[in-house]
Amino acid sequence: MSQVGVSGPGGNIYDLGYQSYDGPRLGRRAALMALFWSALRACYGLGRGGRAKIVPITLGILAILPAVLAVGISALAAQAPGGGQVLEDASPVRFSTYHGLIVILVMLFAAAQGPELFGRDQRYGVLPLYFSRVLTRIDYALAKTGGLWVALLLLILVPQVLLLGGRIFVAPDPVTGLQKELGSVPQFVAQALLTAGLLGALTALIASNTPRRAYATAIVIALFIIPPIIVALVGNLVGQDAARILVLFSPGDILDGTNAWIYGAIPDSEVVAALDLPGLVYVAAAVIGIVGATALTIRRYLTIRT
Amino acid sequence: MPLISLQGLTKRYPGGVVALDGLTLDLEPGIIGLVGANGAGKSTLLKILLGLLPPTSGTAKVMDRDVVSQGLDIRQFVGYMPEHDCLPPDLSATDFVGHMARMSGLPGGAARERTAEVLRHVGLYEERYRAIGGYSTGMKQRVKLAQALVHDPRLLLLDEPTNGLDPAGRDEMLALVKRTGTEFGIAVIVASHLLGEIERVSQFLVAIDAGRLLRAAPIAEFTERTGILAVEVEEGHERLHDALVRRGLAATLDGRIVLVPLDDERPYDLVRDEIVGLDLALVRLEQRRKGLEDLFRDEVPA
Repeated sequence: MSQVGVSGPGGNIYDLGYQSYDGPRLGRRAALMALFWSALRACYGLGRGGRAKIVPITLGILAILPAVLAVGISALAAQAPGGGQVLEDASPVRFSTYHGLIVILVMLFAAAQGPELFGRDQRYGVLPLYFSRVLTRIDYALAKTGGLWVALLLLILVPQVLLLGGRIFVAPDPVTGLQKELGSVPQFVAQALLTAGLLGALTALIASNTPRRAYATAIVIALFIIPPIIVALVGNLVGQDAARILVLFSPGDILDGTNAWIYGAIPDSEVVAALDLPGLVYVAAAVIGIVGATALTIRRYLTIRT
Repeated sequence: MPLISLQGLTKRYPGGVVALDGLTLDLEPGIIGLVGANGAGKSTLLKILLGLLPPTSGTAKVMDRDVVSQGLDIRQFVGYMPEHDCLPPDLSATDFVGHMARMSGLPGGAARERTAEVLRHVGLYEERYRAIGGYSTGMKQRVKLAQALVHDPRLLLLDEPTNGLDPAGRDEMLALVKRTGTEFGIAVIVASHLLGEIERVSQFLVAIDAGRLLRAAPIAEFTERTGILAVEVEEGHERLHDALVRRGLAATLDGRIVLVPLDDERPYDLVRDEIVGLDLALVRLEQRRKGLEDLFRDEVPA
């Protein structure tokens, strides 16, 4: 290229001209992975300003708190001879209760971070730039939704992995501790997948259709808070059979139901417990919700005009 | 192999609006101006070339690849600068352009190098680390151009690149477009409704109106035919006109100005002789280029 130089008292400035690029072009899959990682990072405010980190980090700390407290207390209790088991049995923080302890935080995380993740590209007209590159519209929808899923999954799993590690470490004999606790792993991973999957898919669907951030956040929260009230009211006023159908449209109640089924426990919500539906029904509802909402999110991006 | 090949390309939007109507055209690499009034179908054509919109009928090929079935393949080597705002205000130019490089499939390290390179090329230096929201319109347009160039495309599609710029900003952007097209061997299609601008940077001109092709030709061909000599005299323009007609020139009057078609050099001497002969005071003698708009109107087959 041309080497046009400008000479000045301080030295020379050389215009090196335009350098063409002969390096690798990794194509669609690499672009999809890069978008997935950037979505995941954006969920935690990484690579953004300090203010973007406040909400996700706060919610993350709150989600970990029960695990840290539980491990700390049982470590102290283990010092006292015989006291460990009593305290252990009385602890409200267990794998079976962790879902109920943090599900509100997970929902708030999705409601706070999801709308920005999906809405900003629509608000600022960035979508044509993505769709004129090597990504397809489906790739875009899946990479963004996947980033949100994994962000929620981390929020749910990290505290429970800490809890697991703490319980193994605190046990009098780590090997038997490991054997005792390992059975919980598939249980809390399964519940985490369903929770992150359903809340992530619903948030993606709402946020991709509601570019206005505040509205999308309000809708996500409302979708979690309001249906259980309706289910309870209908159960009282109309009858349990009507409530049994409606409960399958209430994301919070569905996840309560799957958690109870996975751990063989009673649902946290008295209303859900009273409906006495087979646990697999809730699992089916969650899976259908995940697949359906994701399909509708993809459809949104296939049909959106750019 | 032409750069772009259109065969009966038609786009009908739901609701019946026909944006493109049977466009057939072959284009060779270079800087191609795409002119037409607002709503003539320029943006629609660009979006079809990118595979952002499917054509209703007909085919379009870019670099011998079909836009419908090989869109991904095409988009790897095409850069697109949309007409409207497309920049998130809270990101810096470096972060945004780097992200868009990754979205074109460049590896991380290469994306950073190309971002620095291309931002330097468009003339963004220290400010590239600041949030785009604080940029002037001119700087934003540069970022839009940079993201279209960052993956070193073979073809650049620019939709109204001077939109919203002041005259100085327009000049700079046009110079940048011209440099990109001529020095780097990147084919460029510039869509604009401003003929004067297109004329300054393009080597080839495509004019469309209501989705139909008006004319496609090298820019030189357009300007050759527009050569008209405008003669302004202090008074006596009618006498001059009559005299020139008598000498066999197809002179016409446009108000007080005598217009003489310039088919060759001959009218210059004749005009000079007649002005001297009639003893008129010459105010101005210039080669007028008819507005390209007028020309297109003339060229429309009746």
